[in-house]
Amino acid sequence: MTAAASETVGGTRPAARPRASASEALGRWAFRLPLIFMLVFFALPMAMTVVFSLFERTMFWMEPGFTLFSYENFFFSARLTNFLESMKYSAIAVAICFVLGFPIAVFVRRSVPQVAQHRVILLFILPFMVSEIIRVFALRPVLQRNGLVNTTLQNLGIIDEPITALLYTHTGVVIGEVLSFLPFIVFSGFLAMEAVPKYIFEVCDDLGVGPWRRFVDVILPLAAPGIFAGSVFIFVNGLGVALLPNILGGAGAVNAGLIATQAITALDFPLAMAVSAIMMATLMALLWIGHRVFDLTRILTPLS
Amino acid sequence: MLDRTAAPAVEVRGLTKTYGPVTALRDVSVSIAAGEYFVLLGPSGGGKTTLLRAIGGFHRPTAGEILLHGKEVGHLPPDKRPTTMVFQAYALFPHMSVAQNVGYGLKVAGLPKAQIADKVAQALEMVSLSPFADRRPHELSGGQQQRVQLARAFVLDRDILLLDEPLAALDAQLRKDMCLELKHLQEKVGITFIHVTHNQEEAMTVADRIALIANGDLVEYGGARDIYRAPDKAFTAGFVGENNLLAGRVAGLSGDSVAVDVADARLRIDRRGLRVAEGQEVTLSIRSEAVRLSRDTGHLEGQSIAGTYTESVYLGLTTSHRVRLSDGTEMVAREISERDDAPAPGTPVVLSWAPGTARLHVE
Repeated sequence: MTAAASETVGGTRPAARPRASASEALGRWAFRLPLIFMLVFFALPMAMTVVFSLFERTMFWMEPGFTLFSYENFFFSARLTNFLESMKYSAIAVAICFVLGFPIAVFVRRSVPQVAQHRVILLFILPFMVSEIIRVFALRPVLQRNGLVNTTLQNLGIIDEPITALLYTHTGVVIGEVLSFLPFIVFSGFLAMEAVPKYIFEVCDDLGVGPWRRFVDVILPLAAPGIFAGSVFIFVNGLGVALLPNILGGAGAVNAGLIATQAITALDFPLAMAVSAIMMATLMALLWIGHRVFDLTRILTPLS
Repeated sequence: MLDRTAAPAVEVRGLTKTYGPVTALRDVSVSIAAGEYFVLLGPSGGGKTTLLRAIGGFHRPTAGEILLHGKEVGHLPPDKRPTTMVFQAYALFPHMSVAQNVGYGLKVAGLPKAQIADKVAQALEMVSLSPFADRRPHELSGGQQQRVQLARAFVLDRDILLLDEPLAALDAQLRKDMCLELKHLQEKVGITFIHVTHNQEEAMTVADRIALIANGDLVEYGGARDIYRAPDKAFTAGFVGENNLLAGRVAGLSGDSVAVDVADARLRIDRRGLRVAEGQEVTLSIRSEAVRLSRDTGHLEGQSIAGTYTESVYLGLTTSHRVRLSDGTEMVAREISERDDAPAPGTPVVLSWAPGTARLHVE
């Protein structure tokens, strides 16, 4: 009201700021609210994780202080080896997911009629309708000593003794990770293939581009950001989801998530915080490298 | 310019392609001379792209054979044929520069770098894209992107260029310009162009010869002018130009002339050597620009028909006068818009035409 009045009286300001209507204000808050939410419940706890990791441990909780004891505890114990091992096996799980899942994405893009493509991809959501604990737990009767795999192989006469390396080992965890995370590489691969123009495969046929070159020269560079995003997602979860090694792992077959969980069980909160902080640092480093190599902003940029 | 003595660039014999129960092409035979600009024209889904892709080797025909320069190529993949394809759009490598796009085929073929650079520069020169060599495809306009595809095809030195609706993704004005450019390029390069389109104006602009393809059949083919002026089949008359199609019944035969009853008029029409019998259902086609509109009666017996004026449609250069015949058929007379004195709707009028302009079709 005042703005409008001063404009009519003075007449000197050519463009008075229009009054914000109620819906505009609502629109602004629709963006601010999630921001506030993320600050309070995500950024703040993340910062606190780092702060807490430097606190002194007490009997049941912790008290303010500055000590690197938790980090020492991590770096100069079997925990570091376990952490590095779990990184290695997460990477293996990512590789297996890529080899199994990416061809599915390419196949759906290339060979399934356009109208059916999204429906086919939606099928990969089905496993998520079963609780993850149940899904992972169901692997035990399949993989255990007298489980489905072993009895089948024995009955077929392929093996004499049951394979015990399938469960409570890194192998078991990797199998669980592939089972749980395969859909993500299918999704991200499918989206990444959106960057590949419609007629490119026919152009390749016309130019005589062989399958390997086609993959290396055309598909990979175009789909790389999407593939990297999916891979990071799987790697992060392989490192952080405690459930999988908890149910399928065993001595030594743990991951960062389980190390932190075990520290909490032992009421060593600063250690749990330190493990989480180290995990975060590792992942941020990974993302930074990925961004430098693949330019992750390209995922969101239209190509043609 | 056309070399009719050598083996035709493309010879298709009895080509059939079925997808399950759907027949995309039915027993199509056509011969295309080397150095010719040949257009496959027809409605969408009629089978023209299927034919083009069969020639290019992108799918195997169900039956029939394809000869390129006299050699059977049924077993060859696209890259081993003397053909190359220009697609509608979405066919450039988005992560490569224009020059890399054009040179990629040569790189795959293993040519030395210097030679690739030379050929790419030449091809870009030819399509006037030299200043854009380092741009990415998404920095180019739709027309420029299509020219990159042309350059990529030219560097391969294959002598049959297949164009699959190459201008469909462009806006109307650009399409007209690119049409002429394609025609001139073809004359300059001298290789065979086979161009698929559903746009008859585009077809008329570029084509030496046109083949009409609809519902999986090759309806007819011939010189662009012949197809327009003297269509053989009623379908062609309906698709090319703006023809009036009249359904009628043969009332009598006398030598080269046929009497056909249309609405309540008896029309005389050239028989064209067709085999017709009295009482047979036939179709007549008359181009709308050949039909004259008048209010007075007493016209040439057999070359005119009476009707009721319904409306005029002003199109700038021409005005279309729509007239309803007594059997309900709408006829259109198109004339240069010189006067604004169209009859009032409901006025009885007479449509007439010069002898020989109406054509008889039996199907």
